Amino acid sequence: MLRLALKSVLAHKLRFAFTAAAIVVGVAFVVAAFVTADSLRSTFDDLAADINTGNDFTVRGALPFGDVTEATPAPVPDSLLDDIRSVEGVDAAEGGFFVDGVIPVDGLGETPATLGGPIAGSNWTVDETLSQYFLISGEWPRGISEFAMDVVTFADYDFELGRSYEVVTPTGPRTFTLTGTMQFGFPENAGIGAVFSVFDTATAQEVLGFDGLFNEIVVRADAGADIPTVRDRIAAVLPVGTEVITADEAAEEFGDAFETFIGPFQTILLVFAFVVLFVSAFIISNTFNIVLGQRVRELSLLRALGATPRQVRRSVLIESLVIGATASAVGLGLGMLGALGLGALFDAFGAALPDGPLPLRPRTVAWAFAVGVGFTVLASLVPAVKASRVSPVAGLQAGDGDDGGHLRLWRLAAGAVLAAAGLVLMGRGLFADFDSTTAQLVSLSSGAAVVFVAVAVLSPLIAGPVVAALARPLPRLLRTPGRLARDNAARSPRRTAATAVALTIGLALVAMVLVLGESLKDTFSDNLTDSVAADYIISVNSISGVPKTLAQDLRDAGAGTVVGLDEDLVQISSLAAPDRIEQTEATVTDLATVEEVANLGIIESSLSALGPASGLLVHIDKADEWGLSIGDQVEFGLVSGETLTVAVGAVFAEVQPPFWDEWVIDESLYQPTLAADAFEQWVAVKTAGAEPGATRALLEQVLSAYPQANLEDRQQFQESAESNLNTVLALVNVFLLFALVVALVGIVNTLTLSVFERTREIGLLRAVGMTRRQLRRTIRWEAAAIALYGAIVGVVLGLAFGVALAAAIPDEIVDRVSVPTAQLVGLLALAVAFGLLAAVFPSYRAARMNVLDAIAGD
Amino acid sequence: MTSSPAPTLTTAARAVAATKIYGSGDTEVRALDAIDVDFERGRFTAIMGPSGSGKSTLMHCMAGLDTVTEGQVIIGDTDLTSLSEKDLTLLRRDHVGFVFQAYNLVPTLTAIENVTLPMDLAGAKGDAAWIDEVVGATGLADRVKHRPSELSGGQQQRVAVARALAGKPQIIFADEPTGNVDSNTAGEILSFMRNAVTEMGQTIVMVTHDPVAASYADRVVFLVDGKIVDELLEPTPATIRDHMTRLGA
Repeated sequence: MLRLALKSVLAHKLRFAFTAAAIVVGVAFVVAAFVTADSLRSTFDDLAADINTGNDFTVRGALPFGDVTEATPAPVPDSLLDDIRSVEGVDAAEGGFFVDGVIPVDGLGETPATLGGPIAGSNWTVDETLSQYFLISGEWPRGISEFAMDVVTFADYDFELGRSYEVVTPTGPRTFTLTGTMQFGFPENAGIGAVFSVFDTATAQEVLGFDGLFNEIVVRADAGADIPTVRDRIAAVLPVGTEVITADEAAEEFGDAFETFIGPFQTILLVFAFVVLFVSAFIISNTFNIVLGQRVRELSLLRALGATPRQVRRSVLIESLVIGATASAVGLGLGMLGALGLGALFDAFGAALPDGPLPLRPRTVAWAFAVGVGFTVLASLVPAVKASRVSPVAGLQAGDGDDGGHLRLWRLAAGAVLAAAGLVLMGRGLFADFDSTTAQLVSLSSGAAVVFVAVAVLSPLIAGPVVAALARPLPRLLRTPGRLARDNAARSPRRTAATAVALTIGLALVAMVLVLGESLKDTFSDNLTDSVAADYIISVNSISGVPKTLAQDLRDAGAGTVVGLDEDLVQISSLAAPDRIEQTEATVTDLATVEEVANLGIIESSLSALGPASGLLVHIDKADEWGLSIGDQVEFGLVSGETLTVAVGAVFAEVQPPFWDEWVIDESLYQPTLAADAFEQWVAVKTAGAEPGATRALLEQVLSAYPQANLEDRQQFQESAESNLNTVLALVNVFLLFALVVALVGIVNTLTLSVFERTREIGLLRAVGMTRRQLRRTIRWEAAAIALYGAIVGVVLGLAFGVALAAAIPDEIVDRVSVPTAQLVGLLALAVAFGLLAAVFPSYRAARMNVLDAIAGD
Repeated sequence: MTSSPAPTLTTAARAVAATKIYGSGDTEVRALDAIDVDFERGRFTAIMGPSGSGKSTLMHCMAGLDTVTEGQVIIGDTDLTSLSEKDLTLLRRDHVGFVFQAYNLVPTLTAIENVTLPMDLAGAKGDAAWIDEVVGATGLADRVKHRPSELSGGQQQRVAVARALAGKPQIIFADEPTGNVDSNTAGEILSFMRNAVTEMGQTIVMVTHDPVAASYADRVVFLVDGKIVDELLEPTPATIRDHMTRLGA
């Protein structure tokens, strides 16, 4: 039976290729997801290793809560350096800085941009292995008027050695002469998406606002010294609130920090991969069904010659195993290419991934074969069982026609049960309380998957009449070819439904994303109108923000009411209810003027009545959750280790503006302890009734000293938020496009097999005078009708999913359902185009058929 | 059955030195060997011969379904050897009718739609009165809205003949039209074809190996090894069998 199965595969190479094509795409996607994530991991692991070669310890402020990905530890006094150098077993130690928000301005007045990476200031040390910066060209900077920069930024922007440039620093803009270029990590490292300006240690201390302080101290032990012993000795000289970590711990911390980004990234890619595989499974199942239908004669001969049903079943399964394994191997190769393509894709969407090798780990190969073979064999189970039921004297009734009466009932019942189960799962995912988001998403997506299976089961019941109705205009528009296209599309509802279901799934997801996106945008835009009273919003591209001096400069220039808003990681606990504690971002602002730029919907109090010890606002949802009311005391733990106790002064009810947290504390209570902390995330401006154009000119003039600041009026603010969202939606839809490509392969499969099946009919039509062109048109529009059917079911389903999700998502985020009608109609047009495209190959084959051979049959 | 004298004996289709060669060198097969034959308008001609004699090849080449290697094939006054594949298709659609042994009808179309298929493909109206007459002659006027699967084998073949007649073609080619039906049904079909020639003045060329079927024709052409070896006018089953025996078939 094994040999028979192999022979069968080899004898029908084209059919084989078609079946495999669908699974290849899915496997390639899985491989690309793993390889891309592994590539990121190895890039950052290498970097972590590079940074930590040559030094053995880092001494820094200890974070009271949170980790270094969320907050910057407090600096250490520079006097500590001598203490550490004198510890027995320490070879060398240097103070180091890494401060975000140090921005060089190039010869054209442009500032380098990163995509979330730091734009940082740092220092070099004579002992290069301790600072991990390598000079590439020129000289290291010395003294207060010199700086060096990273070679990637140097090459990308308009900089020249020996010339003077302005550099925006936490202590204001300053002018430095550029003396050299450097590289971070190892000299041969490519860029890592960060910008560095480097000074000597004393200069860094001054310009970065670290008087008498270092960010951290890096230490090298004597060669051969026992690391734990030296660590303990260092720890013994450290003051409270500082810590020492080994290079290994630092590297691990660095790796973990990136894993928090790479892990979800990999998961998201894998989710898309599974969507593609899920769609592939339908295609494979359908292809097996049709092919086995066409092989009834062969199968019944086998049975007549004495093959048991079990042997027939096994031969089909072996065939699917061979197909799955081959497809997995091809998908593996394609996935490696896909990983390259994925890099290019993210690049195109403005989110460049660092370049690195493409590691193919054993885990990736194992997954590729597991999902490739698994899905193929799973999809062939039902066809295999059907094949084994072929009787030895089976009639030669070919094809895959309509169901009989009791089959229809059975189908209806099974479909209804599945649909109900799927809806229950989805409803549970949408509305029940879950401990984790993952569990909720699993319930939701497994529900959706079951609903799709239900659609696949039920679809044949309506496919015939619906397709015929959709294709109604075809006979009038295209005469006989149109007529035949319509009839062919409607003639085997089971096949049409199975072909269309792949497209249905893909388009349902796309439509759902479109509906959700539109609802999200509309909600956001309305919330913005309701909650933001400011005329202008100034934001920053770097992590650190704009210096607080900006707000004062704007006020001094007479820009109107200017309110700065900062955001900090804090640990908040309720003094009334000790079990209430959370680490979160809190907004820091001036409560006296904030109402001029934001409509907060203050209830139970008024801001003007707030005293100094009660300068805390809390959102009503949080207040309810924690059982807080006016006057209740809350403790704020700060990253610096300080704590402050403050009473709730007011509760606000309005939806939070986008630059707003649930906790809002008055800035007078929250004085930063460091010059380097003197940044804020946003500055909101309410103009003083002057003509907006004139105000804009005024703002721009003040902002010229702050090249990192980005000025937007309300309209622009909204547009840029929407355009970010659009980018994400577009990226999601590009990934879903892969599911549509698999659907396309499915249509090609079905049509090619149908054409093969209709050889004699096509021969007849050609004999009595159908031209090749007319024949191609017939097949093209048959495909279009099937695709349109799949698309309509998909869009309706997607619309329903989108509405349900919009209802389930909290009102702050989505409070309505907006239907992007034009885009949904566009999807239908796209589906028709897909159908026409899918028909290119089958119609070409049909048209090239030799008329005489076709008439002769078989 | 005897033939009625044809009103005019102009030529509907003609082959001149038609040669069809398959393969080359040692494996060369001459399916048609310099055949000269005329099929007169308004007559019913049968082509007979043993298996492999080239009778089907001759029909296919005459009908524009296949091309000759050498020589000429002419339908009306069109030389088929000069036509492109597309023009051949249009010629079949507009000037040639076909009846095959089986699978004559498109399963998704009704009987009447099958009858008008060639003219529908041409986007032409067709002669409604003539189509009515043809359909009437099949005796299936009350079943025209039925699909092929709802008709018997004989009924299906009569619909096929009606389709061949509907466009008033220059000539109709029938390839073993009764090969798949019982003798009673065969009689119905053949009578209908005979009638189409006698009463309606159509031209039919039929390939068959059945002497009874061939006896419905006005003339029988005998083919052996790709050559026309004999001809018989006003045949009867007995005279046909007699000829065939002499030809060693």
